[in-house]
Amino acid sequence: MHKLKKIAIAGVPNCGKTTLFNGITGARQKVGNWPGVTVEKIEGQFTINGHQATLVDLPGTYNLSPDTEDQRIAEKVIRAGEYDLILNVVDATNLSRNLYLTMDLKERTNQIIVLLNMVDAAEREGVEINAERLSKDLGLPVIPVIGVDKQSVKAAMLKIEEAVDQLPAHETHASEIEVMDTVKKYSHIDLICAQVMEEKKDRRVSFTNKLDTVVLNKFASVPIFFISMFITFWFAIGLGSVFIDFFDILGGLVFVDIPAAGMTAIGAPEWLIVVVAGGVGAGCQTVATFVPVVFFMFMALAILEDLGYMARVGVMADRFMRKIGLPGSAFIPMIVGFGCTVPAVLSARTLTTKRDRYMTIFMAPFMSCGARLPVYALFCAALFKRYSGLAVFMIYLSGLLLAIFTGFMLKSTLFKGTPSYFVMDLPLYHPPRFCAVVKNAWIRLKHFIRKAGAIVVAAVFVLSVLNSLGMKDGRVSFGNENSQDSVLAYAGKAIAPVFKPMGIAKDNWPASVALFTGMFAKEAIVGTVNSLYASMDMGSESEAPTAMDQPRSGDDEEGLDIAGTVGEAFGTVKDGFIDIVTSVDILGFGLIGEDEEALAGEIGAETAIYSHISKNFTAMSAFAYLLFVLVYFPCLAVIGAVRQEMGGFFAAVMAVYSTLLAWSIATLFYQITEGRNGIYMVLALLVLGVNYGGLYLIGKKTNSHLDDTPEDDDEERPSPCLACSSACAGKCPSAS
Amino acid sequence: MPDELSLSDIRKGEMYQVTGFDDAFSPYAEKLHKMGFVVGTPVERAPVATTDPMIVHIRGSRIALRRKEARAIRVKPL
Repeated sequence: MHKLKKIAIAGVPNCGKTTLFNGITGARQKVGNWPGVTVEKIEGQFTINGHQATLVDLPGTYNLSPDTEDQRIAEKVIRAGEYDLILNVVDATNLSRNLYLTMDLKERTNQIIVLLNMVDAAEREGVEINAERLSKDLGLPVIPVIGVDKQSVKAAMLKIEEAVDQLPAHETHASEIEVMDTVKKYSHIDLICAQVMEEKKDRRVSFTNKLDTVVLNKFASVPIFFISMFITFWFAIGLGSVFIDFFDILGGLVFVDIPAAGMTAIGAPEWLIVVVAGGVGAGCQTVATFVPVVFFMFMALAILEDLGYMARVGVMADRFMRKIGLPGSAFIPMIVGFGCTVPAVLSARTLTTKRDRYMTIFMAPFMSCGARLPVYALFCAALFKRYSGLAVFMIYLSGLLLAIFTGFMLKSTLFKGTPSYFVMDLPLYHPPRFCAVVKNAWIRLKHFIRKAGAIVVAAVFVLSVLNSLGMKDGRVSFGNENSQDSVLAYAGKAIAPVFKPMGIAKDNWPASVALFTGMFAKEAIVGTVNSLYASMDMGSESEAPTAMDQPRSGDDEEGLDIAGTVGEAFGTVKDGFIDIVTSVDILGFGLIGEDEEALAGEIGAETAIYSHISKNFTAMSAFAYLLFVLVYFPCLAVIGAVRQEMGGFFAAVMAVYSTLLAWSIATLFYQITEGRNGIYMVLALLVLGVNYGGLYLIGKKTNSHLDDTPEDDDEERPSPCLACSSACAGKCPSAS
Repeated sequence: MPDELSLSDIRKGEMYQVTGFDDAFSPYAEKLHKMGFVVGTPVERAPVATTDPMIVHIRGSRIALRRKEARAIRVKPL
């Protein structure tokens, strides 16, 4: 009897592999990364023949000479032969193309069991497959299964255990196995299919094909596309933001208030409390606030994918994406970018060529993410009043235009390369399976928290230390949060002249300090300007809480009120749901319509801030500032993700490019509308030119590496930071 | 052959058969080949309005591809 330890589950994309994986392993899963790359590696434990074995879910792949990053992983793993057994999931509704992978697998190993999945769906399509015959023709055990049906999976497990005992002796090399070319493989497959498959209905009239005539209809396709995008956003951002305050308040309680109160009680020194509660704790709280939006975004995408609609979105987007030299599938990461740029950067992995991936990653940050919205909402409410909705819309539109601008610019400079092609499989439509979708989103979320969480916690930690550390009368002291004496405030004052051309006066230094904190997370800008303007009122003796604490309703001044805070947290969920039911609030634009007081409460600012903003900004300089906020340095979590995907060099290029672009766009806007200073205009154009020239020169050097369409297998990738094992970009405290 | 045409020109409602590739060395030709566009395989245009990318049915699956790429595949009516 074979003693199996490591088993891999392989199959083409959309063959129901992951559903089967979940069915077999149950809840015992862990997510990691394949060594050196950011493609998810999902492992689960299960019992086979009375002992424990590890099951690994390989990325879906059509063959073993694949062309995308995630598929390459599958090939690599199978080639290395580190698995004792491969469970090859074959989609019964698409036998012929699925068997191609089986043929490829057979060339590598003889330890294969075929799981003929979705036999029920095949039956509905009028296809009947003789599994016994198939097994005989393939020379492999074939077990029919319905992946979504628990009983069926259980029965299949018993059959797998039986089949394992009858597998031939292990052969790792392919010397005796006949290696066939593509044509031969397919003629072999055609022969098999003719014998084992019986088509009882005309498959061309299937439900999927009928639905496609509607979804891809000349007239209906565009409205359907927009409606589905709208629902996606409403779901991800609307539903996600219902829980933001909940996570924020509870996170604040658990990570900041309780540790702070506890440490005060045992008499810990103030600096330690600042570091632990205000630094690490506030960092964890920040991570907690974007958990709901990211989760619902992943879930919305999982639903679209499970439904089979995502591929159709790619088909429709191809018409305009090709104009900037990208395939339609590059549109999907951009949509994700409206929620959060980090998953957008990661989802570019599914693209075929390196050039397509890189270009998509560069464009994704211009899709204004959810974290930037509170900043727009605050400034627009203060200055644009009734027209704030329009103003925010203009900013989103500017982002879109700048993404297109960037696309054209990159096409002729940094990423010249060969124009890409677009070939895409359109899967069958089927109703999304709730459990699978939630599980999928949950696994991705866990992964995301681990990856992005570490860097955000580290960044907030550094920030709050700089914010607290101050110098007064030549003495170094702590507790200068958001006062004029903190290191951060000094830095802000020092850099203020740089922002003068875009309309920020020198005494408006809080606005420039906020741009620093915005590098960590853009929503932090709200908290920073709020407390800095407040401290300007009070003079230097400020008791204001830290910037990161600010976006929370501060009812904890009178000590710790755990029950009250928890109650408040649940209250926000209730209020949120009432909001969401009464208004279909896409992108949270409802924030914009609200009166000032309500808005201030919602985004955690004080009403006095409006007078400060309108005192310090004009409408045009505020818009210029918001343009800058939109475009400049994507937050650190994004840079971390980019570094992982493209390497440190391109991450740095992106940081510099976007910041220079932001400065010149904001300056041009302000000078044209209000400043009327010719020198600054010329300077802005000059910076734009330098940006272009820089990209061109860098492109000249790097383009040769990008031109090879299939990516090099063993290319060097930046290894994750050893100190915190994540995309910290060397910024985490432990890696210096 | 007189009645040979490229995949990009096929009409809806008629069956065709792949006869070969024009640009066999391009990366997408290789990909299409592996996807099942091999000589002798029946192929049909999907009855949808989208023309570019176009959608074809092959081996029981639906594949979207640009007309430019489709031009590389030669077919003949069945």
